[in-house]
Amino acid sequence: MRRMSRLIVGITLSALLFACAGTQNRHTDPINDPWEGFNRKVYAFNDRLDKVVRPVSVGYDKIMPDPVQRGVGNFFRNLDSPVTIVNQLLQGKFKQSGVSLGRFLLNSTVGLLGFFDVASKAGIPYYNEDLGQTLAKWGYKDSRYLVLPILGPSTFRDGTGRLADSYYHPVGRAIHGREEWGYWIVRGIDQRARFLEQDSELEQAFDPYVLLRDVWLQNRQYELYDGDPPMADYDLYLEDYSEEQPDPEN
Amino acid sequence: MKTWLLTLLLMGVAGNLLADHIPGDDPVSLVKDTTVHIFADVTENMDRFKANPEELQALVQRDLMPLLDINYAARLVLGRAGRGLPSEKIDEFAESMSTRLISRYSTGLLYFSSEVELQVLPQRGDLNEKLTRVRTRVKLPSGGEAPVDYAFHKTADGWKAFDVIVEGISYVTTYRNQIMPEVQANGIDSVIERLNSGQLKLAE
Repeated sequence: MRRMSRLIVGITLSALLFACAGTQNRHTDPINDPWEGFNRKVYAFNDRLDKVVRPVSVGYDKIMPDPVQRGVGNFFRNLDSPVTIVNQLLQGKFKQSGVSLGRFLLNSTVGLLGFFDVASKAGIPYYNEDLGQTLAKWGYKDSRYLVLPILGPSTFRDGTGRLADSYYHPVGRAIHGREEWGYWIVRGIDQRARFLEQDSELEQAFDPYVLLRDVWLQNRQYELYDGDPPMADYDLYLEDYSEEQPDPEN
Repeated sequence: MKTWLLTLLLMGVAGNLLADHIPGDDPVSLVKDTTVHIFADVTENMDRFKANPEELQALVQRDLMPLLDINYAARLVLGRAGRGLPSEKIDEFAESMSTRLISRYSTGLLYFSSEVELQVLPQRGDLNEKLTRVRTRVKLPSGGEAPVDYAFHKTADGWKAFDVIVEGISYVTTYRNQIMPEVQANGIDSVIERLNSGQLKLAE
């Protein structure tokens, strides 16, 4: 992850410098996506890559019995705990970081390396933090949308955060080279398998790029606000509808 | 799943919902009443509905529609693309959109209602004169928990829901960003047609 993240984010950022990031926003809502032209290209690349990844994930999904797949998901999630704990400390959520530490220790031991989420069964809450969320808490609230190759939707802030987080992810600390790549590839396939049901939604959308972006950004907002984001500005939507003066764009 | 276990689970669901129920027409009670109703109906007639999903859809439509302000939702989704459209067109669009949503919701019920546990959280701070949010938590059999919120606004007919927000993802916002540019590009009739033909499905 460390090397891969660094590589991916590095390549993306340098590519951005060269691509005169086009602003072909066909969109009307104030969504922070000034790099839409560039993002759409990366999206198309990821989409082509998915032609290879998807069949593998479908196979994986078929072979793996549900409980096993759940266990694998638990295992991966548990290994992200140190990232959460560090960022809880950075955000001053000391009590929560203690809870996450307890959860990590319990699941890693009693839960057999994290395959069994015994902590949840015991009613210990699950938190998820990363450096992107920490930066947002520190005041970097709004960041432009950025599609990363392979990794998919992100923002400039979150992509950078991901890179930094990878430096202390336990997997990058413990294993290197081929094993580390193997871990992230299997994880990627597992992750992809979890979104198979949403494929038809995306395929049938009027604009799949916009759908994925909107869904991702809204869900990210939800994470940034620890599950309690403000409601959409519906009044603004309605104003947009009822405003009588002629639309300057038409 | 064994029948007794299923029954037990479902009784648990209903019990949970009924426990701290205060009758009334505030949004929280509305959500509780309606979900109890629908869940009970579905579980009672699960086999019949599985064989005949249209019947379930009709039932959900009957129970849910009085609670919704589909016209308001439609106007939010259309935004500036709805300006100047005759109100019958807006109604027609609202109808297509809500039928789609209800059909999806009903399909979901068939798969999940026997295994999930639904919790309606008590009203919190942001109840004002015209807008509020009812928070619910859907506990999934996998052990996960999905937050599903309903946005309500006050109308002459009382509180009506107009948006569903799943893990922070608002249907209205998401639909809007798909549909508004499409209506502007190809016109409302083509969008209605696509919604009716069942081609357009949007995110969970």
